[in-house]
Amino acid sequence: MTLLAAIRPDDWNLPLFLHVLGAMTLVGSLVLVVLSLASARGGDSAAGLRLGYRALLLGAIPAWIVMRVGAQWIASKEGLDDLDEPPAWVDIGFVTSEPTLLLLIVATVCAGIAARRAGEGRRAFGGLNTAALVLVAITLAAYVLAIWAMSTKPS
Amino acid sequence: MYDTLLFLHLLAAFLLAVTVVTYTAVALGAQTSGRTLFVADRCWDVGGLGTLVLGIWLALNLDQYEIWDGWILGAIALWLVATGLGVRSRIGAEDVSAERAPLMHWLRTVAIVGLLVLMFWKPGA
Repeated sequence: MTLLAAIRPDDWNLPLFLHVLGAMTLVGSLVLVVLSLASARGGDSAAGLRLGYRALLLGAIPAWIVMRVGAQWIASKEGLDDLDEPPAWVDIGFVTSEPTLLLLIVATVCAGIAARRAGEGRRAFGGLNTAALVLVAITLAAYVLAIWAMSTKPS
Repeated sequence: MYDTLLFLHLLAAFLLAVTVVTYTAVALGAQTSGRTLFVADRCWDVGGLGTLVLGIWLALNLDQYEIWDGWILGAIALWLVATGLGVRSRIGAEDVSAERAPLMHWLRTVAIVGLLVLMFWKPGA
């Protein structure tokens, strides 16, 4: 497996590159969301919420799509999507990626409503901010697991 | 050993992405807190050191690569360029005006994407 990971056919490079580029942008965006939403809880509410919302909408969700398209493309190239019983690391990848899109969409809606309320000067956004923060934190934890699975490839 | 090194090397690279994404938001006009920028800068420090040390360790760990392979030397050179640009991208960096910091950031981003391209295509390997 080590040799296979180090030397692969050239036509696998582009889909794998897109997959990793999307994943890096996704994780980078989510850490920015966590920092922004946490700073909104600390007092800098409107700007922090707005940045958290935009990082989810314009950073995390498009990056998720790039990551997922790249994943499907490389899985197809490697013939992993045709297997009746795919390796555990592939299953972990699917299980951590697809449900988290739903979490990201819900978090984006929560952060968007909270940002709008904060922008209007209303104070009733704390629960929505916390909900978005928790959802994004769960998603990030799942992605660390996915990075471990993709790099160590447990059978 | 290889798997653990690769996992940690990837984690370090993901830390670099945190910095690049955060500074991209700043360059596009987002207002960020000082704490957010502090964390982004520390991610750059840890991620930069981690990618270099673990990357060289990985190259030494695999028989099919040598440290003097062209793509590895190119990656080290790009890493040095990205590190220099990263220092100059920091908000409030002493020797860089506020107008030039975004330019330094975009150049740093190009260097990081270039590093990623080298990691996948490994020209000459």
